[in-house]
Amino acid sequence: MPVEVILPKVDMDMTHGTLAVWHVAEGEMVQKGAALFDIETDKAAMEVEAPASGSLHHITAQPGDKVAVGTIVAWLYAKDEAVGAAPLTAAAKQDAPPPVTVALPADITPPLSAPSFPPPQAEALAQRATPSARHAARSAGIALERVRGSGPLGRVQRDDVTAFLQSAPQTPATAPWVPQSGPLHISRRKGQGLPLVLFHGFTADSQSWAPLEKALGPQQPLIRIDLPGHGKSPRRRIAGFAELARMVVEAFDEATREHDKVHLLGHSLGGAMALALADIRGRKLASLSLISPAGLGPEVDADALAGIVRASRAESLAPWLRRLTATPDGISDDYARAAMAPRKDPAMRAAQADMTAALFPDGVQAFDLRPALQRIEAPTQILWGRQDHILPYRHALAADGDFAIHLLKGAGHIPQIECPDRVARIVQRLIAGCDAPV
Amino acid sequence: MNAQAPTDLRTLSYAEAIREAMAIAMEADPTVILMGEDIGVYGGAFQVTLDLIDRFGPDRVMDTPISELGGAGVAVGAALTGLKPIFEFQFSDFAMLAMEQIVNQAAKLRYMLGGEASVPVVFRLPAGSGTGAAAQHSQSIEAWFGHVPGLKVLQPATPEDAKGMLLAALADPDPVMIFEHKLLYKMKGHVPAGSYLTPIGKALLRRAGTDVTIVAGSIMLHRALEAAEKLAAEGISAEVIDLRSIRPIDHETILASVRKTGRLMVVYEGVKAFGVGAEISAMVAESDAFDYLDAPILRLGGADAPVPYNPDLERASVPQVDTIEAAARRLVRREV
Repeated sequence: MPVEVILPKVDMDMTHGTLAVWHVAEGEMVQKGAALFDIETDKAAMEVEAPASGSLHHITAQPGDKVAVGTIVAWLYAKDEAVGAAPLTAAAKQDAPPPVTVALPADITPPLSAPSFPPPQAEALAQRATPSARHAARSAGIALERVRGSGPLGRVQRDDVTAFLQSAPQTPATAPWVPQSGPLHISRRKGQGLPLVLFHGFTADSQSWAPLEKALGPQQPLIRIDLPGHGKSPRRRIAGFAELARMVVEAFDEATREHDKVHLLGHSLGGAMALALADIRGRKLASLSLISPAGLGPEVDADALAGIVRASRAESLAPWLRRLTATPDGISDDYARAAMAPRKDPAMRAAQADMTAALFPDGVQAFDLRPALQRIEAPTQILWGRQDHILPYRHALAADGDFAIHLLKGAGHIPQIECPDRVARIVQRLIAGCDAPV
Repeated sequence: MNAQAPTDLRTLSYAEAIREAMAIAMEADPTVILMGEDIGVYGGAFQVTLDLIDRFGPDRVMDTPISELGGAGVAVGAALTGLKPIFEFQFSDFAMLAMEQIVNQAAKLRYMLGGEASVPVVFRLPAGSGTGAAAQHSQSIEAWFGHVPGLKVLQPATPEDAKGMLLAALADPDPVMIFEHKLLYKMKGHVPAGSYLTPIGKALLRRAGTDVTIVAGSIMLHRALEAAEKLAAEGISAEVIDLRSIRPIDHETILASVRKTGRLMVVYEGVKAFGVGAEISAMVAESDAFDYLDAPILRLGGADAPVPYNPDLERASVPQVDTIEAAARRLVRREV
């Protein structure tokens, strides 16, 4: 990662400084400790040293600009580091007074990669663009401000966006998934802020989070854990809920060893796991989000669970999958075929069949996490589809404790797949409220 | 009537095609009658009815007194009581004298009588500039009637459509206004024999293209097609849509084209402001096709002035081939 060059606070009561002069030009190399630029305040003028060695890029403040303390005014790239787009500055990283530099509009995803011209200036907010160009930029998730317009008065045309997308090398914007050894399969992705630990539902796996991961954006650090007998975790026989919970706690401890706090998100059976975890690892929790969690009442559509576990081909899987969504048309035949592919492994189906018998004897949820829910102290919210056919959302209404309930219109049992953007927004709101700067 | 060439090469003028449609309808249906000033022995101001009085007699080809309000009123009354009158105005400008009958009576009676009556009248209106007939005889006021629920407003651009639209208008149970451009009456084109109906409310893609959509009706269609031909030589591919029907307007054909080309020009002869172009532009801006626009929408319309008598000024007051060509070029070259 390039090193940020920040306008420092050189006076106790200073909120802004005027950038007087750059001693190094854009693209030039500089040694750590060498004079980089001068600032002037009401009281003093001062030389600022380079915080690292490297080449200077993405200068956002020009001589004469008045800049808030803490604002990033440029970036230093190490000698062999590729210069990409100006890295986005997370608002949370900056010190108190809001910077005067322009933040990208919230609804525009950061650009994927390198433009060949400078980052946006203040007046770029008034970017002229045709509706078609705006639409194309929105669809591609790029900030229009980065596209040079060829139309009248610099208006961005659709062609300009197309050309921009073609010229920009496709470097990955998100950190890669890295597997971690442990009793269960763990994968993690770096980002900014506290990580969000994800527990998938019964018969699902870590891959099922893909739509939500996309909606959460590349900045969110994530840790995914495959439940026993699921995904890439060992196919172990489980005697009951307590044993399952023990394995999950062990994996959780392993996965979160280097973090003081994490956010936790669980879906369905993973929600029950998250609740059990929260009960014994409460101090580690910054927040808890539960999507259609199990364990809050006896009712469950056991036929659907058994049907999914038993299915050995897409045709027999599809009818059961269609109970997962609000309406049956939410699951296409192609979706069912794709869902069946990882379920071809008979050992996995056998392990899950055993689990069905252990966890849902006689078609009942034989574990009760309502007491755990009552005891939770971390900020907690439950998201539930109003048209969930697997677990009734009334379980959330009947449960006791301090938590928020979000009932999602038009969603079934898997809102994180049916409407990932809405789920992401709700989860992000809670995370943002709990992700206080350390 | 005279160009009776056989089958596929059969060619008629626009006026002949209209006359043929009237004759076919009158032969097939005794309730179809013609009314208007000087349409009998004189043959009509533009000789469209010509010899029909000889074939069908003065009871069915009726000269009406010089009162558009009176004539249109008789036509509406006749329609209300079971006949199918085709009423000809000498100039579309004179429809203003008959506004009460067209707008307050014909357009509203079906609604006000709870559907128990209808007014199957057809108004034929010679329209447009280019004949040196000055400000009171050269207007293009079709958009005025597009504002009136209960009316259908058509604008045939070819002899084939002129015949098919008149027959379709006669088959329609409600009042239909057909604006015929005076400069098109002598234009020749293929016209199928026998009876056929041109669907009301359907625009027609006359020339496919990829760079800009030009919506034009009546004589503007021909100017737009000529401009498109010239633009093609420069590598600009214009798609030309014949609007044909102002009310109802064919949203889907226009929107589909805009989604394809990303640029829209509307060309019409009526005064530019508050006209057909405004309606079409707004319709596109309100639709999902908005997201496909890659340039501002352009309207090319008549000057904001009475149509001048001076021939050079008259020509300059409405869109011509060169102005359409230049505007489309600027639009595609991002100069707008």
